[in-house]
Amino acid sequence: MCSDGVVEGGEAGRGGRGVPRGTRLGVRGGAPGPGQWGRLNTSPATTILCPHFGPPPAAACRPARDCGLDQVINPFLAYGLCVLGGAGVCLALPRRSMTPQIVGALVAALAGGLALLVMGLRNAAHLPNIYFYVFSVIALGAALRVITHPRPVYSALYFILTVIASAGLFLILSAEFMAFALIIVYAGAILITYLFVIMLATQAPEEGETEVLAEYDVQAREPIAACVVGFLLLAALTTMLFRGVSELPQPPAAQPDALLADMPRKVERVLRTNGLLKDGDKLITGRSGDLTSVGSDAGVITVEDSQGVVRTIPRSEWPEDLRVKNIEALGFTLLRGHPGAIEIAGVILLMAMLGAVVLSRKQVQLDEEAKLAQARQLRLFRETAAEGVTGRSMT
Amino acid sequence: MQLLAPTGFLAQTGFPVPMHSATLAHYLLVATLLFVIGLIGFLTRRNLIIMFLCTELMFQAAGIAMVAFGRYHLDFTGQTFVIFVLTVAAAEAAMGLALVVLLFRRKESLDAEAWQDLRG
Amino acid sequence: MLTGILESLTAAALAAEPVRQGSGGGGAAQVGPWWAVLIPALPLLSFVLCGACAMLRVKGKLPAWITVAALAGSFAATVALYMDLFAGGHGAVVAITHSFDWINFRWGPGAGERFVADFAFYLDSLTVLWMLFVTGLGTLIALYASEYMAGDVGKGYARFFAAFSLFVFSMACLVMADNLLLLYLGWEGVGLCSYLLIGYFYTKPSAVAAAKKAFIVNRIGDLFLALGIMLTFVHFGSVEYAVVFERAAPYLALLEAGRPGDVPAIVQLIPLLLMVGAFGKSAQFPLYVWLPDAMEGPTPVSALIHAATMVTAGVFLICRTYGLFVLSEWALPTVAWIGTVTALLAATIGMAQFDIKRIMAYSTVSQLGYMFAGLGVLTSTGAAFHVVTHAFFKALLFLCCGAVMHGFAGQLDLRRLSGVARMPGWTIVGIGMLVGCLNLAGFPLTAGFFSKDMILAEAFTNPTNGFFWVGMILLLTAGLTAYYTFRVFFRVFVGPKHYEPGDEAHGAGDLDDGTHHDSDVAAADAAAAEEATAAEAALAAKGAAHEAGHDGHGQDGHGHDGHGHDGHGRDGRGDFHPHPPGWAINGVLAVLALCSLAASGLYFLGDHGGWVGGMIDRSSAAFASPFAHDANIGAGHAAVGAGSDGVGGIHAGDAHVAGTFFGFDPHAVMYYVSGVVGIAGIAVAYVLHLAGRTTAATSRADRLLPMLGPIARAAQRKWYVDEFYDFVVRRPLLVIAHLFHLVDQFLVDGLVNLAGWMPRGVGRLIRPSQSGELHGYAAGMAGGIAVLLIIVLLVAT
Repeated sequence: MCSDGVVEGGEAGRGGRGVPRGTRLGVRGGAPGPGQWGRLNTSPATTILCPHFGPPPAAACRPARDCGLDQVINPFLAYGLCVLGGAGVCLALPRRSMTPQIVGALVAALAGGLALLVMGLRNAAHLPNIYFYVFSVIALGAALRVITHPRPVYSALYFILTVIASAGLFLILSAEFMAFALIIVYAGAILITYLFVIMLATQAPEEGETEVLAEYDVQAREPIAACVVGFLLLAALTTMLFRGVSELPQPPAAQPDALLADMPRKVERVLRTNGLLKDGDKLITGRSGDLTSVGSDAGVITVEDSQGVVRTIPRSEWPEDLRVKNIEALGFTLLRGHPGAIEIAGVILLMAMLGAVVLSRKQVQLDEEAKLAQARQLRLFRETAAEGVTGRSMT
Repeated sequence: MQLLAPTGFLAQTGFPVPMHSATLAHYLLVATLLFVIGLIGFLTRRNLIIMFLCTELMFQAAGIAMVAFGRYHLDFTGQTFVIFVLTVAAAEAAMGLALVVLLFRRKESLDAEAWQDLRG
Repeated sequence: MLTGILESLTAAALAAEPVRQGSGGGGAAQVGPWWAVLIPALPLLSFVLCGACAMLRVKGKLPAWITVAALAGSFAATVALYMDLFAGGHGAVVAITHSFDWINFRWGPGAGERFVADFAFYLDSLTVLWMLFVTGLGTLIALYASEYMAGDVGKGYARFFAAFSLFVFSMACLVMADNLLLLYLGWEGVGLCSYLLIGYFYTKPSAVAAAKKAFIVNRIGDLFLALGIMLTFVHFGSVEYAVVFERAAPYLALLEAGRPGDVPAIVQLIPLLLMVGAFGKSAQFPLYVWLPDAMEGPTPVSALIHAATMVTAGVFLICRTYGLFVLSEWALPTVAWIGTVTALLAATIGMAQFDIKRIMAYSTVSQLGYMFAGLGVLTSTGAAFHVVTHAFFKALLFLCCGAVMHGFAGQLDLRRLSGVARMPGWTIVGIGMLVGCLNLAGFPLTAGFFSKDMILAEAFTNPTNGFFWVGMILLLTAGLTAYYTFRVFFRVFVGPKHYEPGDEAHGAGDLDDGTHHDSDVAAADAAAAEEATAAEAALAAKGAAHEAGHDGHGQDGHGHDGHGHDGHGRDGRGDFHPHPPGWAINGVLAVLALCSLAASGLYFLGDHGGWVGGMIDRSSAAFASPFAHDANIGAGHAAVGAGSDGVGGIHAGDAHVAGTFFGFDPHAVMYYVSGVVGIAGIAVAYVLHLAGRTTAATSRADRLLPMLGPIARAAQRKWYVDEFYDFVVRRPLLVIAHLFHLVDQFLVDGLVNLAGWMPRGVGRLIRPSQSGELHGYAAGMAGGIAVLLIIVLLVAT
């Protein structure tokens, strides 16, 4: 609702709405549009929340079906599904008897499925990839299982499944590096740590019992309140997001190949591999060694061959491999755009490591009650052990 | 990644073709749902480690949302930020779990409700 | 000494020739002499000194002498004032002595509005008249009290005289005030002193209750008086008499022009309010119930305050503001009728009582009723004259009763005393009592006769408002008055000698301890005791002989001589002697008796209602009755009063036809009629209470009682007025008080407790959120975020 400069929108993909909209959610766009600056903002919420931003845009666009929450999903349906989902999740949370859990899971699944279905129906022209549905169902189902399974180890394992599913989602979103980084770091490192700690922090089973399930794992705590809060938040968030989504500016046509300008050696290698660059040919680089011509709209590569003849290779002739891969783009963004953050991240990791080492060395006294409980346990253990040895009671 | 890119009416165009905002809405829905599930888990489970796990879930959800936005705006800042989130999550998990272990050693229990000394 | 002063007074008055016809000398107020301040100042000084005595716990009778001296000085100053201002035969003189500014402020722009109420004294003839008898009687009664209260020397003596002096000071303020506010100060002051003095014996619950009753009933009247004063200020813009009379002159002109209905309603309302105040202070129906109970106080108090001075304050108020009262169509008739009803009511009650002080109290109420009736029938002269005469003879009567009480250890029941005047040492008391009773009964040629006659005559002369019936009722009351007065006299003072001591015998009360037995009495007691023990048998024989000598009614009657006696009472109280009064009491009684007799001469001084009339006619209470325009109706009225100068004297319109008494001129005939009625009353009392009476306790009247049945009983029970008030006023007030107590307990305390409970309640509400549980906090956070988001969604977008 705070507009930070505005952008002309209303191009292709917006169904022909001609009304210029201000940006939403503070995403930076291009030059400010006409008539958008300088409108006085009198709403107190926007004054408080957006002190240095400009005025919010005018009334909601018409017809409602084309924008706002309605573009994505019917609001009443959305809230209804929220309620249904909330009830389902609440039932599914750990409790002593199994039946309500199964029923709840089914209800929640129903709600989630309906939501996806409805959204899909309304936006039939812009459905996501089918794998989106696959991965998202897996992710949500696994996440539900994470919170509803009474045993901690299973929760962690289901969490790993969730991570894998969201890695899949990353893949679909063309963030391949992130996908695998997620699996390696999250599932491979962090979750393993969790599993270790779970195993460390389980109470020893008593004599004669094969397993012990702590009281606090069996029974969920105030499920209704938590579900109410959660799904209230869900309703609010989805409303806000879906309203905002429809008012997002169309992103500018990207020039992904602009980065190729910074990778002359790769360009050279690929061209050579594909035979476009004969031996002796040389790429013409700019003063700082980049291929300036590549980054332009025209997208040409200027080549100079051994004879000094300059020729250009237009984009249409570029080989398939001559693309900026995700990881390259990410790398450039990371190291060129956020070098300081990398250093800080490193420091954070160092701190964490040191801290973990320091903490784990600390000797901790048992709490009083725990001491008493332990003493009782030991006494029982000794008694039963003594009984077992003698085969009879002491008498 | 042509393997994963089916053709036909369900085709998902990859980078750098821009995404439609309605499509973005789907991803955001998933992210929000995941977030809320994580939140409910955090509020409901008493096992400290499971509670941590649920916060990790919430990180996940945030990550999905960020990457989706990045994809929508064709900006790599989204993914960059997810890297940092990952880093911080790792660091936090390490520290948090160390503390959980200490807490467990003290009370021989992972129950979050055992620690109520700050009640007013 | 005092008689000398009185003589000089009369001489001066004889020389005075009140000028009627526009001598013009009295129009504007002069500045009065500065030493008029002494009149209130000396009693105030005495109050301070007596208070000092009380604090220093002075033993001895010093406070009494201080008081007597101060009051005598006041009296002298008053006489000098009279000489200075009025003895020379001036016209209506008003002198204003300003002593100091009291309340004096102004507001508003320019000239603005002013409120002035200074300690200034309005010295006109009404003032001087009143102050003469107030200070004179005050001095005499203080002297009387010096002996009467001697039993309390060292205990409450100084307190008594301090309150006494303060009373006289307040009365002086009241009478001499130049403005209504100072009058109100004095009014409240006398109420306060009345309370203090009635409750003098504060250890007696009945005395304390009586004091409270007096104060509270007075308060009711005071409220209306205050309202009247406020209304006066609201309408006339001032509370000073001079200013108010000046501004009321146009309304008087309306009256003269014969248009009494044109006077604005607020001006007609003021006297009605003042009137109720007067009713409260002067014990008229329905606010009279405090006066009989006020007899719980010492007798000097009853004599001074409740007979002569304080109770006349109401009469004084009406006299002073007479100019306002005539402006109202309803005020004076109401006053007259209330006075009449009171007179009759009190007389009937007095007929059935047995306590002689009570009887005197009811007679006071009854005579006050006469005075109010007199004011109401437009004879302020008659009322004032009655005030003066009544002051003297009622004081005398009370002091005689006091002497009896003093001597017989508090015995006041007329069924237990008889033949007191025949006991040695009691002669002067008897004579004083006789003089007083004759005055009260209106025996021909006494002062009381003349003053009562004035009022009766005027009642018949004024034909408006049914005043004929006022006259008839007052005539009947005169007969009843004569009857019950002489009932007392014939029962207590003459007849067979008999006495029983009262409750204060042998140190049973605070009074009358053995200290006032003088030495011969003590010696005689001792001697008698010895004799008695030795001659028991002889005594028994004598006692038997005495008994046989009496009628066989089985009473404990015995006769004896004053000091040394040879017989014992068989009431088991041991050795009791009646204590005849000493020189102070006897002296005062004698003086008062002489004054009462001499007061009748006042009637003949001057040509218009006597000397008193002369004084009244020159003051604000003067009024020329319209019914006097008929010529040849006695020497009582003149058509044109001294009103032409606008200060005193009010005219009323054209001549009206005067009323008659069965065809005769009331003024001429009333002497005879009232005289006959008075003598008839005395005769009835003689027949019923003296003739053939052999014991103290019974008389022929007792045989009439069964015939009268419930009426007599009701009269004896004061017509159940007190019980009625208890039912109508006191009980609802108690209920309301309990209700308000509940309100206070639950509402007010409840609110306060709520204020105390609220923080705790709020805390109890909020405390669960600080549970120490991690999940609770987390849920709160998440919920808060959700709520915030919803607000943002709803409000901001």
